[in-house]
Amino acid sequence: MSLLKIENLSATVGGKKVLNGLSLTLNAGEVHAIMGPNGSGKSTLSYVLAGRPGYEITGGSVQFEGKDLTTLAPEERARAGLFLGFQYPVEIPGVNNVYLLKAAVNARRKALGQPEVDAYEFLQIVRAKMKLMQMDESFLSRGVNEGFSGGEKKRNEILQMLVIEPRLAVLDETDSGLDIDALKVVARGVNSLRSADRGVLLITHYQRLLDHVVPDVVHVLARGRIARSGDKSLALELERRGYDWVLEVA
Amino acid sequence: MITLPTNRDENWRYANLRPLTRARPEAVDPAAAATTAVSLPAPVAGFERWVFVDGRFARHLSTPSADSCATLLHAREAGRAFDEMLDAAIATEGVDFALARLNGTRGDEVLHIAPADGAEAALELTFVASAPASLGSSYPRVQVHAGRGARLRIIERHVSEGPLESFVNAAVDVALRADATLDHCRLQICADTSSIFDTLVAHVGERASYRLRNVVLGGLASRSTQLVRLAGRGARCELTVASIAHGTQAHDVFAEIEHAAPETVTRELYRGIATGRGKLGFNGKMVVAQSAPGADSEQSLKTLLNGTGAEASVRPQLEIYTDRVRAVHGATTGKLDDQMLFYMLSRGLDRREAQALLQWAFIEDAVSRLDCGPLREEVERLVAAQLHDVSHLDGLLSRP
Repeated sequence: MSLLKIENLSATVGGKKVLNGLSLTLNAGEVHAIMGPNGSGKSTLSYVLAGRPGYEITGGSVQFEGKDLTTLAPEERARAGLFLGFQYPVEIPGVNNVYLLKAAVNARRKALGQPEVDAYEFLQIVRAKMKLMQMDESFLSRGVNEGFSGGEKKRNEILQMLVIEPRLAVLDETDSGLDIDALKVVARGVNSLRSADRGVLLITHYQRLLDHVVPDVVHVLARGRIARSGDKSLALELERRGYDWVLEVA
Repeated sequence: MITLPTNRDENWRYANLRPLTRARPEAVDPAAAATTAVSLPAPVAGFERWVFVDGRFARHLSTPSADSCATLLHAREAGRAFDEMLDAAIATEGVDFALARLNGTRGDEVLHIAPADGAEAALELTFVASAPASLGSSYPRVQVHAGRGARLRIIERHVSEGPLESFVNAAVDVALRADATLDHCRLQICADTSSIFDTLVAHVGERASYRLRNVVLGGLASRSTQLVRLAGRGARCELTVASIAHGTQAHDVFAEIEHAAPETVTRELYRGIATGRGKLGFNGKMVVAQSAPGADSEQSLKTLLNGTGAEASVRPQLEIYTDRVRAVHGATTGKLDDQMLFYMLSRGLDRREAQALLQWAFIEDAVSRLDCGPLREEVERLVAAQLHDVSHLDGLLSRP
C-alpha cells in the first residue's frame, strides 16, 4: 500500500484554481522531490495536504496510508503522522520551543495509543537531535522561532520533524535562504529520518538540495499538475535547461 | 450626599455598575465575617503577612513583623490625607470619586504603611471577601507613605472565601517621597460571582519610582480606578495590567497618569483577553502638564477577543500641554492569529490547547513583568488556569 496517493487533485485558493488534476504516488521508504517554477502550485500542494484553511479541494482524492486525508482536521493529520515543514515558519513569542515540541510528541503518542513521553527521556532525545542539527540548547527555552534567523527557523523545523518522527514529511522549500553549511546540516537531518517505513516530499526550487538529499523520484509541477517525472537526473537537466522546455512539452 | 457613577459618565461607560444598585453600603458586620475557616494562599517568603476579612484586620491569620512599618489606624485618623489627594485630583480632572468617598465614609480600619527614610520593607496584604453582598460591603483600605529613599514591596491580593456574591470597595493611597521605590503587585482573584471596585491614588516624588502591576482575573464586575501623579522631577511610573474576562465577566480599568514635573517617565502596558461573553475596558489617560518638559511616555494597549460575544474597548488618551515631550502610544484589538493557530494545529495540538497557548503568548509579556518574588509563579499558574486546564500548561511554566 502506498504511503501517499494523490489522484486528480484540484484545489482553489481565494477562488483561484491552483491545483489542476495533480496525481502522485509516494511509497514508504521513498523521497520525492517536487520542483517547478514560481506559481506552479508547489506550496499550495503542501498546504492542501496539511489542511490549511482557505485551501479548498474542488476535486480528486488524497489517501494517506489508505485513509482519506481530506476529511481530517489539520491536527488529526499531524497526529496521523503527516508533518509540514513550513517555508516561512511563524514566530510565537511567549510559547517556548520545548513546550511545543513536547505537546506535539505527546499528541502523536496519544494517537498511537502510547503513554506520554517521560520528561527526562524526552530531553535526552531532544538534546541528541539538537546536536545533529547543530543548534544551541538555549533555543529550547526561547519562544517558538522568536528572533531566529531564517536559517535557524529552518533548522528548527527539521528539529521538530526529527523529534516528532512523522510517517510522511512534506518540506516546503526548507532549503530557501540557507547558506551551504546550513544546507548540509538540514540535509543531514532529513537523511537521518529516511527509513523503510517513512516518506519525504521535498518541495524545492533548486537542484542543490538534491545533491545532499538524493531523491528517488523527481517531479516537475507546472500549471497545477505533474508535467514530468523522472529520476534524479531530471533535476540536473532542469538545472541546465530551466523549466521552459518542460512547460512547452506540457 | 454621595452620587454613585453611572454608565453615562464617559469614564465609567464600560464598567458593569449593576451591582452598585444592589449593594448595601453599610460595612459587613464583623459577626458575619468568616474569621476562622478562611483558606488563604501560601505565604510569600520574605514578606510579612497582613490578612483582612471583609475589610477588617484578622490578627490570628496575620504575621506582621515586630518592627513592622505598618500600623492599623482608624479611618478618621487617616482620612484627611486621602481626602486631600482626592480633592486635588477631582479639582484637576473632574473624575468622579464617589466610590472612594463611600469607602472613606464607611470603612473602619486603614492599614497605614510608612517605611522611614531609607528603610526597606516587604508586605503581603490579603483581603478576603467572605460575606455576601446582602449582608453589606467590605471596605479594604491601605495608605502607603514611603520616606525618602525607602524601598518597599507590596503584594496586594483580593480573594473570596467561597463562590459568594460579595461586594468589595477598596481604596489605596500612595505617596512616595524623593528617591523612594515601590513595587506594588495587585492580584484580583475574587470569585467570578463577586463585585469589586477599587480606587488608587498615587503621588510620586522626585526621582521616585512606582511600579504598579495589576492582574485582574476575578469578579463578575471589576472596576479599578487608578490615578498617578508624577509630581517630582524624574519621577517614574511603570503601570502594567493583565486582565482576562471569561464567561460574563466585565473588567474595566481607568488609569490616569499625570506628568506634572520635568523629565518624568511613564511606561504603560495593558494586555487583556476576553473570551465567551467577557467584556474588557481600558481607558488610559496620559496628561503632560506645561510644567513637565522632557516628559517621556509610552503606552502599549492590546486586547484579544476569543468568542463571538466577547467585547473590548481600549482607549489611549493623550493631553499634552508642553512642546518638549516624547509620547508613544499604540492600541489594538484583535483575534487569535490564524497563521500561528494553524502552525500549532499542524504540530498535532488540539484546537483548544492551541488557542490557550496563543492566549498565553499574548498575555505573557504583561505577566512576565511581575517581579514580586515568588508571586510570579503563582500568577502564571492562575493565568494558565484561567485559560485552560493548568495541567496541560505545566511544562510551559516550568522553563528548563
